[in-house]
Amino acid sequence: MATVYQEFSPGEAEFDSANIPQILSIKGTNYPVPGLAFDADGDEEAYFNFMASEYGSGNLTLELEWYADTATSGVVRWGGSIAAITPNTDSQDIETDALDTENTADDTHLGTVGQRVHKASVTISNLDSLAADDRVTLRIRREGSHGNDTMAGDAILTRARVSYSDS
Amino acid sequence: MTVLSDENRAIIRSEWMRDDTGEWGAVTKPDLRAAVNAADDWVNGNAASFNGALPALAQSELTASQKAQLLVHVVHKRFIVGEV
Repeated sequence: MATVYQEFSPGEAEFDSANIPQILSIKGTNYPVPGLAFDADGDEEAYFNFMASEYGSGNLTLELEWYADTATSGVVRWGGSIAAITPNTDSQDIETDALDTENTADDTHLGTVGQRVHKASVTISNLDSLAADDRVTLRIRREGSHGNDTMAGDAILTRARVSYSDS
Repeated sequence: MTVLSDENRAIIRSEWMRDDTGEWGAVTKPDLRAAVNAADDWVNGNAASFNGALPALAQSELTASQKAQLLVHVVHKRFIVGEV
């Protein structure tokens, strides 16, 4: 039994026609920091695609590495949802496929330094009948309009990772 | 004159958060909204005082809308030149 990891960088993101986070490449003091800046109001979202290689069973764990643009306190509400299609088996039209119900997690800014890096974890339990080697579309969203999301300013996503069991 | 609607106050907070390029620090979105509410309450509660501060002719001849525009222009110019 092993854990399978799928990693995503901001540059791999796909976007729909609206609710698009700002694509950034911050010129840091010593190195560039790529990111997707999710607005504090509204619900902005980014999409990533992967093949569920060696997926066995169970929930997906979505880890989100992020930092605050301008705040040192507050809560960011992150959401993760997937759509899974089994090639050659599912007759679902990929262009009209729907995402399963979103799972969410609230992550609190740890304070002290505004632009410190945080890691949020969302357990994706709504799996859209996920099976091994499925084509999976992952949506990552900041629910800025939700009452639990209190952090002012952008939340900048720098990296994401999905993990699951191979058994 | 009455205070702004809940919807308009929410819009102000959103626009303010989008336009401001400074650091928010420990201030959260509910804190920002409370500040919007307080500012709107203050404007509403001090309208008569503002009107009374104007010269008599301006008080009698200008419309409420013109006086509001005057206040907007003064506050905006003070912000632009850094007199805040």
